[in-house]
Amino acid sequence: MKTKIVIVDDNANNLLLEKDLLIVAGFEVHTAVNANDAIQLIKEVKPQVIVLDVQLPDISGAELARILRSSIDTVSTPIVFVTASVLQSDIDHLLSIPDSAYISKPINTRTFSKQVSQCIK
Amino acid sequence: MNKISTPKELPEYSESIVNTVREPLIIMDQHLRVITASRSFYDFFRAEPKDTIGKLIYNLGNNQWDIPKLRELLETILPQKTSFDDYKVEHDFTTIGWRTMLLNARQVERSQSNDRIILLSIEDITERNAIQEGLVKANKELEILTKDLVKAAQVKSEFLANMSHELRTPLNSINGFSEVLYDETFGTLNEKQKQYVKNVLVSGNHLLLLINEILDMAKVEAGKMTLTVTELPIKEILYEISGLIKDAANKKNLKMVIDISTYLKNIQADSLKIKQILYNLLSNAIKFTPDGGEIGIKATQTDTETHIVIWDTGIGIALENIEKIFEGFFRIETPYSRVTEGTGLGLPIAKKLVELHRGKLKVESEGNEKGTSVHIILPIKHITTVIRDENKNSHS
Repeated sequence: MKTKIVIVDDNANNLLLEKDLLIVAGFEVHTAVNANDAIQLIKEVKPQVIVLDVQLPDISGAELARILRSSIDTVSTPIVFVTASVLQSDIDHLLSIPDSAYISKPINTRTFSKQVSQCIK
Repeated sequence: MNKISTPKELPEYSESIVNTVREPLIIMDQHLRVITASRSFYDFFRAEPKDTIGKLIYNLGNNQWDIPKLRELLETILPQKTSFDDYKVEHDFTTIGWRTMLLNARQVERSQSNDRIILLSIEDITERNAIQEGLVKANKELEILTKDLVKAAQVKSEFLANMSHELRTPLNSINGFSEVLYDETFGTLNEKQKQYVKNVLVSGNHLLLLINEILDMAKVEAGKMTLTVTELPIKEILYEISGLIKDAANKKNLKMVIDISTYLKNIQADSLKIKQILYNLLSNAIKFTPDGGEIGIKATQTDTETHIVIWDTGIGIALENIEKIFEGFFRIETPYSRVTEGTGLGLPIAKKLVELHRGKLKVESEGNEKGTSVHIILPIKHITTVIRDENKNSHS
């Protein structure tokens, strides 16, 4: 069985790039473009890892992560944030969420899938 | 009126005392007629003794001295208290204009008779007041200006952080997709396609370098760049960085002269930033030296400082440009370097990073085609105790 991943990103290009890289690396990839859809999708798919853009149209990636942590199904599903922020305070804020990691934008396409798989327990 | 006192009745020495007082001083009898006044009084109020002595104080200078507050002072307060200090009176004199004065008065019993004399000294504080008011005003303006400056610096930092964030998102697509294409992840490209997509990738990476360096520069300028200081084996780091640039030097057939003292002690510094500085300077040396030239690293130490020189036999810097190279975005036109190779910010950032370590960076060149030496002096012991790097963007 393939490892299941949900990617949440409202930027179509970034979503496509990350999706392609992870499919090539052998993951089963599901995508959502906002937090609301993501919550529904994650409930259905039950992914082993979630890749989250930090700026979503409805709520922030960090807020979505906290909602996921409050649900028994996703209380410890690893979350990988993809962020373009360069502020340590922003990054600290993301990493304060349990079982989280971050990858900075622009991503390195040669190491992206490896970075994501390292987060899977 | 009986027994009007005259100056002759005052002993000579008291007359002298009156005249040496710097502040205007009037001596009156108990009926408020002027017995004498100091020289400073005449000077200050532009008055003559003949128009003053023997006159009622209120009549002085064509009744200019008929000041209600002075009347109150001399007729009501003084008889009760026999003295008063620093009584503030403001008055517009026809001769000398608007004045703010502090009045001090003493009522003295004369020993031979029951008469009293009154000493009235007048301190002009108009200018002092103006200066004080000016100072208060200037202080307030300074406060506002400081607040504005702090705010402007903050706005600039926020703007740059936002800009950097906004630019990274499209760059993620540009670099990401071109990298995937170049790597032929989804099928092979022909030679021309591969070259073109490589051009996109190189330009994208250059743009990213620019964004990062502008952000670095802004952080240093805003004082937001802090150091993560550890004990660094500077000797090993120098060899490590020389190793990193060896290939680039070989490609240009540059001879690398490494002269690193075997006795270098560890230094207290920020590892990443020291590497960034050295890499930057060595890359410059390679970039600005034509094929077949020489570049070198020399490192020595005193008890307190490490002295590193990175030199080359390259194109050098014209004397008139030696200051400009620290201004940012200044690049020397050269047939050996392509436009895409640098940002012109490497050297200014290196200098700022060295200075953040309380060190010094100096560039020496004897002019065009005469090579360049960059001298770095770093203290062995770090002085301040800043531990955390506020804004380092890296991932593991």
